[in-house]
Amino acid sequence: MEMLHYDFMQRAFFAGGVIAMIASVLGVYLMLRRQALMADMLSHVSLAGVAAGALLQFNPALTGFAIAVLGAIVVEFVRRSYKSYSEVSIAIIMIGGLSTAVVLMSMNPGINRGFSSYLFGSVVAVQKTEIILVVAVAFIGSLFFYFLRKPLYLITFDEETATANGVPVKFISLLFSIVTGMIVAAAMPIVGVLLVSSLIVLPAALAIRLAPSFTAALWLAMMIGVAGVFSGLTASYEMSTPPGGTIALTLLLFLIMGIGIKKVVVRWSKLRNKKSEEESGGELKELRDTVRLQQDSTVIH
Amino acid sequence: MLLASMKNVVYGYGDTPCLEDVDIEIHSGEFVAVTGPNGASKTTLLKLSLGLLQPWSGTVARARRREDGKKLVVGYVPQQISAFNSGFPSKVLEFVRSGTYTRGSWFRRIDRNDHALAEQALKQVGMWEQRNRKIGELSGGQKQRICIARALAQQPDLLVLDEPSNGMDTDSRSRLYAQLGGLVKERDITVVMVTHSLSEASPYLDRIIQLERKEAGGWKCCTTTSCKGHFSPVG
Repeated sequence: MEMLHYDFMQRAFFAGGVIAMIASVLGVYLMLRRQALMADMLSHVSLAGVAAGALLQFNPALTGFAIAVLGAIVVEFVRRSYKSYSEVSIAIIMIGGLSTAVVLMSMNPGINRGFSSYLFGSVVAVQKTEIILVVAVAFIGSLFFYFLRKPLYLITFDEETATANGVPVKFISLLFSIVTGMIVAAAMPIVGVLLVSSLIVLPAALAIRLAPSFTAALWLAMMIGVAGVFSGLTASYEMSTPPGGTIALTLLLFLIMGIGIKKVVVRWSKLRNKKSEEESGGELKELRDTVRLQQDSTVIH
Repeated sequence: MLLASMKNVVYGYGDTPCLEDVDIEIHSGEFVAVTGPNGASKTTLLKLSLGLLQPWSGTVARARRREDGKKLVVGYVPQQISAFNSGFPSKVLEFVRSGTYTRGSWFRRIDRNDHALAEQALKQVGMWEQRNRKIGELSGGQKQRICIARALAQQPDLLVLDEPSNGMDTDSRSRLYAQLGGLVKERDITVVMVTHSLSEASPYLDRIIQLERKEAGGWKCCTTTSCKGHFSPVG
């Protein structure tokens, strides 16, 4: 626990833990709404905001945040006009964001060094602005997911029935997109643009596989996310590996192990069921035999 | 009371209209079947009447409040819900209970009454024993039944079902129709249902809306009143 004596590690654990909790909850909804790639796309778009902010001498974290939220709103409207939301539109917006970012970046050579921290994250170099951003976003996000959990469940299951039931689907969908943009922007400094979706998608992917119910999936995703970030940070400290990549790898490892363990458990319980069936089947057979014996004996007498 | 009405409605998906001359009225306390061959825009008709689609021309009116001033609750069971998100991590009971979410405020905690409604709805469709299974594990017919249960748990005033008996066996089908007929009679619920099995449902039906092909190629709406009709025919 020596690592916790360092200020920067304390900040990293705090920011990482907070963002992991809210990002994994978001991930469950994104996955079930079939928008798992949205996080990736928004982070690429938000990178353009970061580059623009650096060029225009604004705080890059804040411009990145603003662009992510704006991008989320645009995506929501695109989604509405193209009902069958295709991967192509994701790819197009993603390319637009990343290429703008690269071009803007080249105009400002001074930024290049800090830029890789945006691409791959630098959770150990988290600044005060970023901590405030993370806390504020987590607060707004948790209010959103807690108070609107009922309409969110209905919309996530099926938008059409929700509309017919009188849920303001468009409005809540828009809010959801804005919250998504906010969470993606806040998670960017922790794991980086390229790995943001690991924090959002991986815990959710495992939780959805394991959880028996929807509420359980949300809680489980949160626990997996926090456990992944904490063990990833620890591993990165011990092995001096980049924190963003280590966190993502740890979460991936969790996912593979979790799915593997589940398969083993399912197979084991299948075997057990089969065995108990055979045993009860055997007892039945014995019972039948004794009945036949008794009948036979009556015949003899 | 008039719950929904459509006047001179025209709607289509491409550039040619697929539904024309639609004039229907749905009154409270009716059990209405919508029928017609495949591709006759039956689902489109339902979606138009629910406000999920906007007509090209003509007017669609829906009642927002009941006669006593309370909010009119609409339950909708779409077609082929059995194809839904099979990975959706929800228990049957949790899913059916979500039907009660639209009652009252969203911030309201789930109370005993909600549990009772969900239990009652699940028992009505004969799925109470399966309440702790995940919805993805169910068969098509079972999924259909829990979707109906969810709509029932809403305590709807208007229940709109799109081919609710798809994937159900004969027994479940006739029990469903009998139950729906009972709801219409006893609880004064209005039921609008798209169905192909008219012969099984007809003892309970008040009215049949038949979609027929126009000479030009589109579909128009004809309303017939079955022998049990207790109101004047419309349209």
